[in-house]
Amino acid sequence: MLERMFKRHETYLFIIIILYSIVVTSVNKSFMSFENFFDIIRGSAGMGILAMGVLVVLLSGGIDVSFTAVAISGGYIAVRTIMATGWDSLFVAFLISCAIGIALGAINGVIISYFKLPTLITTLGTLNVFHGALTTFVGTESVNAREMPLCFVNFGSARLIKLVNEQGGTYGLSVFIIPLVAVIVITWFILKYTMLGRGIFAIGSNKESAIRAGLNVKAIQMFIYSYVGFLAGVMGVISVSEVRWVNPVYLVGTELTIIAAVVIGGTKLTGGSGTILGTILGVGIVRILYNTLVLLGLSAAWNNFFVGIIIIASVAITSYRNKLKAMRSLTFKM
Amino acid sequence: MFRIKGLKKIDTNLTILFIILVLVILTLSVLLPGHFFTFRNFKSMAFQFPEFGLLALAMTLAMITGGIDLSVIATANLTGIIAALIMTKGVTPEALGPHTALIIIVAVVAALVLAIVCGLINGFLISFLGVPAILATLGTMIFYSGVGMAITKGIGVVGFPESYLEIGSGSFAHIPIPLIIFVVVTVLIAVVLRKTSFGLNMYFVGANQIAARFCGININFTILRTYMTTGLLAGISSLIMISRFNSAKVGYGDTYLLQAIVVAVLGGIDPYGGHGRVIGVVMGIIILQALQNAFTLFGFTPYAKGFIWGLVLILVMIINFITSKYQEKARIQRMSA
Repeated sequence: MLERMFKRHETYLFIIIILYSIVVTSVNKSFMSFENFFDIIRGSAGMGILAMGVLVVLLSGGIDVSFTAVAISGGYIAVRTIMATGWDSLFVAFLISCAIGIALGAINGVIISYFKLPTLITTLGTLNVFHGALTTFVGTESVNAREMPLCFVNFGSARLIKLVNEQGGTYGLSVFIIPLVAVIVITWFILKYTMLGRGIFAIGSNKESAIRAGLNVKAIQMFIYSYVGFLAGVMGVISVSEVRWVNPVYLVGTELTIIAAVVIGGTKLTGGSGTILGTILGVGIVRILYNTLVLLGLSAAWNNFFVGIIIIASVAITSYRNKLKAMRSLTFKM
Repeated sequence: MFRIKGLKKIDTNLTILFIILVLVILTLSVLLPGHFFTFRNFKSMAFQFPEFGLLALAMTLAMITGGIDLSVIATANLTGIIAALIMTKGVTPEALGPHTALIIIVAVVAALVLAIVCGLINGFLISFLGVPAILATLGTMIFYSGVGMAITKGIGVVGFPESYLEIGSGSFAHIPIPLIIFVVVTVLIAVVLRKTSFGLNMYFVGANQIAARFCGININFTILRTYMTTGLLAGISSLIMISRFNSAKVGYGDTYLLQAIVVAVLGGIDPYGGHGRVIGVVMGIIILQALQNAFTLFGFTPYAKGFIWGLVLILVMIINFITSKYQEKARIQRMSA
């Protein structure tokens, strides 16, 4: 069983995280503290939720780079609507944001499933269309902490477990972990225990075979992209609550990092292979990296440098092992 | 008779593109009288589009082989930063003379070599390690921009020797130097694609990689050389860019990525690989530059422009899809008739 564990990609990720944490803690003790952990979790919630959506898309053999625009659209429109109408309820916020998310995701789904366009380029286009539409038709005014509706502010500062540190400041496990865990469980359940999930893996492995097996590929793809949109809507609300500030130009630009995190987690870009655990670990690595480079004395300017190296190393190793396996079994992949 | 018929079949898409080009220029000239159709405007466009055009050509080459190169902008930024650092550390802005010329040459050569190396890394990842092109160039894009960011901390590099600025803003016989560079490079690439085995191999690898392998084509070297060329083009583009901007900074040209893909698709390059001609891309570049120019004159925000380009990209691909389905149906009807 130990041997099987070592063949899995996730084991190596876990080892990397442990080793890296040891290195960082030896340089700066404040890393290994509950306060820091809770901080990392709070910051990773949004990215983790989006990563689940990206995982589902990648498993189906596609790619979606428009989700950040969907997320910021959902979040921003929710904030402005609540400010305008006064329905200061978190439920309303999620309702608006997720509805917009599903709608925009469905647009992606229609274009990809009915017109069979290449997914990267399509979503690159919709990224700009959604973002451009948001900034042009809704506006570019930012909303800062003072004007932010209370539901967001309360959501952002709510804590599940409250603790007090040595200096007397309170900190705690943010409630963000609830939607994060909920999304992870829902995604896991869909992928593992439903025909829908099976269908997603099937499309990613071999779309032609999936069609001939009788799967409704179009419907499954519509679900996939609407689901990503839905998750982006959730993330939009979380993101607004996290920083208590929103501006339409924010968030877009981070999509490639999130895709990279999912890929680091072992998900194959060509589809059909990937795990929830891997995705969580991948997001974990990227977030811990962002969090700790400062502790190691390197400014934020070095973030992309290290993330880039990790991406290249991780995909290089995965792809090369796949290539060797394919060569040995004389399979040629298009 | 045969030649005319054959010409019509192959070039229908290109003819449509040419008609669109003419229509766009005419419409814009009418909508913006006195602003668009002037020698001064065209001359300023001729200074602006070459740097983008080279990036679009790079993207085209990558797409012909069935891949994509998301890292061209990051490569251009990095090589521009290196060239800028060499030049600003080597001489002062006012300096003249052979020493200055030597530093400039060193900077240019260093930038181009670095550009080829960046492309080499891409090619190596994609061909020898089997990494999918999107992923490899995504990783290198993040990495190269990370290197640039780490070197410059986000601050622009300024203070080039005056003589270097000639490249970006000077003219030779009244023709802007960037335009001359662009035309020369484009012709070279068009010739390589159509007349050399390297170029034809690129098409074959893009159309059907397995078939190409069994034809005896060295896939790995073809892809490697393709991405080295992509890198080289990005390097040349960066040399023009930093000369025109008089500075080198991380983040220049980020909007060019989507536009490069739009132009390639508009010009008839199939994102799945194996089809497309340089002349189509050139026409796409001109159309895009004309529209960009008009949008600026209209006062659109960068986001509005992005909105339109995204829309154009999707519409063009949908139209391509519909026309190819229509052609397929027509072909089947003709065969069964």
